[in-house]
Amino acid sequence: MTKLLNQSLKQFAAYAGLVLVCSIPVYYLIISRLWQYELDEHKIVLTNEAGREDKYLIIIVVTILTVIFFALLLTGFILLNRRISKHLWRTFYNSLEKIRKFEITQHTKVIFDKTNIEEFSALNQSLDKLIAGSVAAYSQQKEFTDNASHELQTPLAVIQSKLDLLIQTNPLTNEQYKIIEDVMKASARVTRINKNLLLLAKIENSQFMQKEKINLSALLPQTLAAFSNFSEDKSLEFATTIEPVVFVEGNQLLVEILINNLMTNAIRYSAANETIRLQLYPNKLILTNPGKSALHQEKLFKRFGTTSPETPGTGLGLALVKQICDRYEWTVTYTFDRGWHTFSILFNT
Amino acid sequence: MKILIIEDEVALAHSIRDYLSDENYRCELAITYKEAIDKIGIYEYDCILLDLMLPGGDGLKILEEIKRGHKNEGVIIISAKNSIEEKVNGLQLGADDYLAKPFHLPELAARIYSVIRRKNFSNTNTLELNELSIDLRSKKVMVHEQEVILTKKELDLLLYFVSNKNRVISKSALAEHLSGDIADMFDSHDYIYAHIKNLKRKLQDAGCSNYLKTLYGSGYKWEI
Repeated sequence: MTKLLNQSLKQFAAYAGLVLVCSIPVYYLIISRLWQYELDEHKIVLTNEAGREDKYLIIIVVTILTVIFFALLLTGFILLNRRISKHLWRTFYNSLEKIRKFEITQHTKVIFDKTNIEEFSALNQSLDKLIAGSVAAYSQQKEFTDNASHELQTPLAVIQSKLDLLIQTNPLTNEQYKIIEDVMKASARVTRINKNLLLLAKIENSQFMQKEKINLSALLPQTLAAFSNFSEDKSLEFATTIEPVVFVEGNQLLVEILINNLMTNAIRYSAANETIRLQLYPNKLILTNPGKSALHQEKLFKRFGTTSPETPGTGLGLALVKQICDRYEWTVTYTFDRGWHTFSILFNT
Repeated sequence: MKILIIEDEVALAHSIRDYLSDENYRCELAITYKEAIDKIGIYEYDCILLDLMLPGGDGLKILEEIKRGHKNEGVIIISAKNSIEEKVNGLQLGADDYLAKPFHLPELAARIYSVIRRKNFSNTNTLELNELSIDLRSKKVMVHEQEVILTKKELDLLLYFVSNKNRVISKSALAEHLSGDIADMFDSHDYIYAHIKNLKRKLQDAGCSNYLKTLYGSGYKWEI
């Protein structure tokens, strides 16, 4: 990459060089003609050797002069170029620096310097418009997140509460109760999907920006304990290798969601009586669980990419995992090898 | 006990009222900001359920107003937002608990029960239910004056049932109570059977009558 002005400088220099080089034979011709004319007029006859000597002298002098002039021109160009770029382009570089520092999530205002140059003024105006548009879209999206949350959670709360009331009614048959429980499960699933969608939107909106050092070596045993009810239900064993004092930097809530989602999948999709392997190293977290066949690599981390009638999940768990990893520039990979699903996260520390 | 329900979604407010109202609780509703402020100014309550998004004003202002009165009521925020900032904010302003929508009514009843017990029985806090007594402070459970050793989960379950006595509680509500957010990641909640079975057995072995009934195959009720 070269600067815009350097590009033009090179061309100017090349042109000036070319003109000066071409001028060498022209000078030489004119000077030798004049010299010859003067000699003829004063009837001076030179020996062949002297004539040749003069010829060379003229060529050398002209060349040296040309080189000196070229050097002068070049220094002039460079100095002028610096001056122009400092003064003329200052507005441009100022605007550039301001855009570079602009963060849509930081709510900073961008005010461009006033300029008399038409092009730059037009540029600044267009940038103003562009930024205002982005800021408006951003806040609209955030507002939408909040609204969607309120608008959906409330009717869901009504449904849930009415179902809780409905099972208090008497008489109620076993069949009716069973139907109500099924509706409860379905509404819980809608709630879950809604929660996850909102979470995705919030992460995309760059919320949850607070960061802290999280001790994964301490967090993982807690997570295992929290999930013990569910793993014991299926008589699953955990084989863990957790190295002490492994820290990552991130948002506590997001890191917990990341680990919970991976753990949920491992437990949910393992057959009963199997073993799940959990390994934590200073730069890596690996979760391995047994399975029959490989999952769709390219669909895995997409929203609703893996939903099917057999999978009871929200279809958003791994999308959340990916989104959280992207936020911290961690790499999440999936591999399948001889009956083992492996999810690994490479921390960027 | 008097409870004020400040909630603009009338259907939800009615559900809460219908579920809670019995010989112990009397519920009143306020569905606008103004109505809420008026009622708080005039009457006294044991517990106030407060929705933060109300037509006509900010729910947090109501909270400030309640706290300014220096009365002894407990406040539970029920909110659709479920954001950490809001929760921290509410608790800092003096709310006693925060419950995100949607919630199960038995969960709300358990929270109300706990808040009221905390507020009104600061020195001795023992629950007496016939032969069963629960010391909420030392977490000791006695049957016929003999201690029954319960795990943390079992005690938690027992209190949950006691605070929802004579109500049918679904397995979904129990799962959410026991495992919180993790519960809704799973569809099977068989571990609940194990906890309940153990609780029942321990109480019965100590000579406690069987108050905990199984209904319709997978529902539970503490009948007393």
